[in-house]
Amino acid sequence: MIRFEDVTKTYKGSSITALRDVNVDIERGEFVFLVGSSGSGKTTLLKLLLREELADSGSIWVAGRDIGKLSKWRVPELRRNLGCVFQDFRLLPNKTVTENVAFALEVIGRPKNQIRAQVPQVLDLVGLGQKGERFPDELSGGEQQRVAVARAFVNRPLVLLADEPTGNLDPATSIGIMKLLDRINRTGTTVVMATHDVGIVDAMRRRVIELDRGHVVRDQARGVYGYGDDLPSSSRGVPAVAIGSSWSGEDSGEESLSAGRVAAVRARRGAR
Amino acid sequence: MAIPLDYVARETASNLWRNRVMALAGIAIVAVSLALVGTALVLRQSVARQIVALGDNVNVQIFVQASASGGELSAIRMLIHQTPQIKSCGYLDHQQSYQRMRSLFADEPTVAGVLTPATTPPVFECDLINPNDAPVVKSVFVGVPGVFSVSYPQAAVRSWQRLANIAQTICLVMAIVLLVCSLVLILNAIRMAIFSRRREIGVMKLVGATNWFIRVPFMLEGLVQGLLGSMVAVLFVLLANLGVHSLLGSSGMTSQVQPGSSTLLSPSNLPAGQLFTTEAIILVIGLIVGVAGSSVAVRRFLDV
Repeated sequence: MIRFEDVTKTYKGSSITALRDVNVDIERGEFVFLVGSSGSGKTTLLKLLLREELADSGSIWVAGRDIGKLSKWRVPELRRNLGCVFQDFRLLPNKTVTENVAFALEVIGRPKNQIRAQVPQVLDLVGLGQKGERFPDELSGGEQQRVAVARAFVNRPLVLLADEPTGNLDPATSIGIMKLLDRINRTGTTVVMATHDVGIVDAMRRRVIELDRGHVVRDQARGVYGYGDDLPSSSRGVPAVAIGSSWSGEDSGEESLSAGRVAAVRARRGAR
Repeated sequence: MAIPLDYVARETASNLWRNRVMALAGIAIVAVSLALVGTALVLRQSVARQIVALGDNVNVQIFVQASASGGELSAIRMLIHQTPQIKSCGYLDHQQSYQRMRSLFADEPTVAGVLTPATTPPVFECDLINPNDAPVVKSVFVGVPGVFSVSYPQAAVRSWQRLANIAQTICLVMAIVLLVCSLVLILNAIRMAIFSRRREIGVMKLVGATNWFIRVPFMLEGLVQGLLGSMVAVLFVLLANLGVHSLLGSSGMTSQVQPGSSTLLSPSNLPAGQLFTTEAIILVIGLIVGVAGSSVAVRRFLDV
């Protein structure tokens, strides 16, 4: 799904190499944490994927396409396949929840009937079915991030990129967001999440890619945040057991999600 | 990909409304500058028409004193025949001259009222072989006993034309300066619109809206400003055309230029065709200014 081949990136006017000879291969449907201290290159990696930046050398493949060779006018096409969530939510304050989510479909020229069908569905998915008419400033941080996730996911992207999505949220709320991302991941969507949240990484036990000053220093399946720390420490962040148990037994959620997906496919077919 | 019209219309309208003071300033300057362009064009065309009309029947008018004796009259006749520059001459006696004057001043009963056939000077109207000899012919006849005055309408027209040329140049220079101003104003209005929408633009880029989808509402905003401004100017020229001409028509200029001719500087001209062309030019310039201003703004400040 995503492949970095010997990717090096240096920002103009900076002597520091943001990424150096990065080789990463992410399969469809994987859930990957990017960890590392600030300035280690996590955000640069995400920016390269979105083609907000271009690599100096090496190539980046997304869904079988070398995105470095993509002509400028095809970049929007790439971004439609990548959903994006940020620490600061980036919602439009003058639009309601529904309008915020609908906006993402509207501006890529989706027909109205499709928007009307898909938006309530995805709001149900993120648990905000009842709050469609609220404005972002009337919601809690966690709810705002849910709206952001809904907006990123409403177009059913192949990949969901998240840049410290829980960075502004308290631990309990973070769990909710992580559950949501996990659910989205279980629909087959690849999730790449840059984070500093030790508790979450340790609890989820997914693939961890650690960056340090632009180098990939660790790529570990079912890894944890800290280097060489095999045991999820309950003294750090949220107790792992608590999250782990809350994640299991979510089958009903997955069912409703896949039902939603079927309906979405139907809606798309109907629109054509 | 088709861009939905209702989306574009809504975005453009809300952009304009958010920045309505700036937008209004832009529209006003476009209107003023294009009104000046229009004025210059109308002046140019109406002067051109006068010259054409004048070229068709150039003449020197020799007004004879109302009290001139028969002897003086025939002496003048003789002199006309002896003047080589004169091709031919027509003669209007007291009565004919009076009729002409009356019809000329029909709108002004005070003037028409004092005229009588006896006090109206008869007039020789002469065609010249070369219209440029008019001053020479005048010098021949000035001071001849019985001659009241000599005039050549060309002179009036030439000075009028010079005046019009100056006015035209001033109008055009001011118009160009103002057009540049309006371009900058529109550019700035669009820049502010882009700035106030930077969140939306950021989200649009992120979710994969195409460049054109992001740009079109802003481009359209500039276009609307240009269009509204030029529409005001079109209206102004339409009214001014009527106003200016009726003003000139009753100012007495007509009689100086070409007595008896109602085709010169009379109200009701420019013809529809020329007026239409002028208005079309104004509209096109307005649209160009609007689109140019917004294109520059979009290219410089909307980094997509």
